[in-house]
Amino acid sequence: MYLLRLALASLANRRFTAFLTAFAIALSVCLLLAVERVRHEARASFASTVSGTDLIVGARSGSVNLLLYSVFRIGNATNNIRWDSFEHYASNPQVKWAIPISLGDSHRGYRVMGTNQSYFEHYQYGRHQSLQLAQGRAFQTDPFEVVLGAEVADALHYKLSDKLVLAHGVAAISLVKHDDKPFTVVGILARTGTPVDRTLHISLGGMEAIHIDWKNGVPARGAGRISADQARNMDLTPSAITAFMVGLNSKIATFALQRDINDFRGEPLMAILPGVALQELWSLMGTAEQALFVISVFVVLTGLIGMLTAIVTSLNERRREMAILRSVGARPWHIAGLLILEAFALALVGILAGMALLYLSIACAQGYVQSNYGLYLPLSLPSVYEWSLLGIILAAAVVMGAIPAWRAYRQSLADGLSIHL
Amino acid sequence: MSDALIELAELGFAWPGQAMLLDIPAFRLERGETLFLKGPSGSGKTTLLGLLGGVHSPQRGSVHLLGQNLSELSFAARDRFRVEHTGYIFQQFNLLPFLSVRENVELPCRFSRRRADRAGQRHGSVAQAATQLLAHLGLRDPDLLQRRADTLSIGQQQRVAAARALIGQPELVIADEPTSALDSDAREAFIQLLFAECRAAGSSLLFVSHDQSLAPLFDRHLSLAELNRAARPASSEVS
Repeated sequence: MYLLRLALASLANRRFTAFLTAFAIALSVCLLLAVERVRHEARASFASTVSGTDLIVGARSGSVNLLLYSVFRIGNATNNIRWDSFEHYASNPQVKWAIPISLGDSHRGYRVMGTNQSYFEHYQYGRHQSLQLAQGRAFQTDPFEVVLGAEVADALHYKLSDKLVLAHGVAAISLVKHDDKPFTVVGILARTGTPVDRTLHISLGGMEAIHIDWKNGVPARGAGRISADQARNMDLTPSAITAFMVGLNSKIATFALQRDINDFRGEPLMAILPGVALQELWSLMGTAEQALFVISVFVVLTGLIGMLTAIVTSLNERRREMAILRSVGARPWHIAGLLILEAFALALVGILAGMALLYLSIACAQGYVQSNYGLYLPLSLPSVYEWSLLGIILAAAVVMGAIPAWRAYRQSLADGLSIHL
Repeated sequence: MSDALIELAELGFAWPGQAMLLDIPAFRLERGETLFLKGPSGSGKTTLLGLLGGVHSPQRGSVHLLGQNLSELSFAARDRFRVEHTGYIFQQFNLLPFLSVRENVELPCRFSRRRADRAGQRHGSVAQAATQLLAHLGLRDPDLLQRRADTLSIGQQQRVAAARALIGQPELVIADEPTSALDSDAREAFIQLLFAECRAAGSSLLFVSHDQSLAPLFDRHLSLAELNRAARPASSEVS
C-alpha cells in the first residue's frame, strides 16, 4: 500500500511532533490500562481478603462495620460479645470451626489481634489458601508469644525471639503501653497480600494477661499490679471477645444459623455473610473506582485530541505537499486516506508504546506494589476487555482522523494544483 | 474532434462572485509542439493551468485534451485523465522533501497504471525509467538517487521535477515558471534538456513564464494577454 508508505514518510519528516503526539497517546493509554489493571486486581484481591468463612459474628451494628473491623482491621467494634456466647456457637453441631477474634490493642500503628490455634488452622484467604508460617511457629501455651504478619516483620525489622511491647488502644502514638508484659516473636507469617500481613497475632490468653490488672480502662497502680510471671499462673480464659468467624459443616445451614444468631437471646448478636458484606463494601468504593476509570478515559480523549490538533495544524503547512501529490495524480480521496492513515499510525504507535510502558512499569513496580499495597499486578497479556479498550481507542483515532481528512479533501479540491507557500 | 493536443474554444471562466478572468475564443497546442506562453502573475495563468488539468471547470466553452472534452468527464475521471496524459513542473519546491529522489520521480507511476506501463515499455521498468531520465538530465550519481529530495540544490531539484513530469511519456508537459529559481546560464541549459527529453518522449511542452528572454527558444510563443479577451478592458467594453 503506497499511501501508507507516503503517510509514514511524511510523519517521519515531522518526527518531533509525531513523537510527542504518539508519546501523549502512549502515556494516556498506559494510564488507562494501569488504572484498569489496578482496578481489576484490587477488586479481585479485595474479594479474596477472606474466604472459606461462612459467617462473621459480632455485636449488633452494621454489617460493613463488622466486616471492616474483623477482616480489614479498620475502625472499632461498638461492643464486645461474651465468651460464653462464643462457646455456645462453637459447640453447635453445624459448626465445623470457629475462630475467636479479640481486638483493641496495637503496636506502632499495627493492630494486635487475640485469637487461638484454630486461626492458623482454618483461616483462609484468596482461593482457599491457608496461612503459612514463613519462620518459627504459631504461639502455644505461653501467653506472651506473638506471631507477626509479614509486613509488620518487614517494616519494623523484627526477627524471631525479638521482644516487643504492645500499646493499649489503636492510635499510632499510644500513651499507655503494656510495657510490664513484653511479648516474644515466635513466628512470622508468609505474605498474603491481605490485612493479615499488617496484624500481630497473640493468644486470647495473652490478650487477657496484659489487661488482667486493668480496672475501668486504666492500668492498676502499685500493689494492684500483676507481673507477667504471676499472670502466667492465673486463669486466662477471656470473659469477652470482639467477634468470631465460623465455618460450617454444610453451607446449607448458613442461613438457618445466621437467623439463629441474629435471634440469640443471650445478647444482641449479628451474623453476616462475608461475601455479601464484601460486595456491599465494594459498592461503596465503586464510585471512586468508577471516577478513576472516567478520568483515565478523559485522559485518553485528551491524548487523541492532541493528535487531532497536531494533524489539523499541520494541514496548512502541508498544502504544498497535497498540491504536489495532486499534480502527480493523487485524487482527493487519496489525500483524505493519507490523513486517516496518519492518525491510525500515530494511534497505533501510541498504543504499542503505551503497552510497552505499562509492562515496563509493572515489571519495575510489581514488588513494591505487592509489598506496600498487597496488590499483585500480573505481567499477563491484555485481557479480552483490555484488547477491546485498545480497539476502541484505535477506532476513535481513525474517526478523529476523518476530521482533518475531510478538511484536507476540501482543501485539495479548492487548491487544485496551485501551490501555496 | 481534431488532432490537436489542447484545444480551447470560447472558453470563459470566472471565480464565484468575481469578474470574468479568462475569456479565450480559441487556442490550440499541436502534438509535439513546444509553446512559450507569457503570463505575468495575476493574469489568470494559474487558473488556466487548473482548467487544463481539469481541476476547475469552465462556465462557458470547452477544454479538449487529446480530443476529449474534459467537461464531459466525471470529476474522478478528469483526475485520472490528467495524471495519465500530463506531467507538471512547478516553480520550485516541486518535490516531496521526505521522499528520496528516486521515489519522487516514480510518484506518477504509483498513481497511474498507464504511466507505469509506458515507462516499463520504453525503459524496461519504472526504476530503470527513473534512472535513465535522471541520467539524461545530468543526474548520474547513483548515491544521489537515494538521497532525500530536499538535500539537492534548486537546479538539481528542478531536473528531478522534470524527470518526474516526463516519466511514462505523458502527451503533455506543463511547466509553470520552472526556471524562475535558476540563474540565467542554468536556465537555458535546463530548457535544452527539457526540450530533448520532451522530443524523445514525444511530449508537447506548454511552458508558462513571465521571462520573455526564453521565448525565442520555443517553436512558438504567445502572450496570455493576447489570447485572453478578458485582459483587454477596452475591447470587452465594446463587446
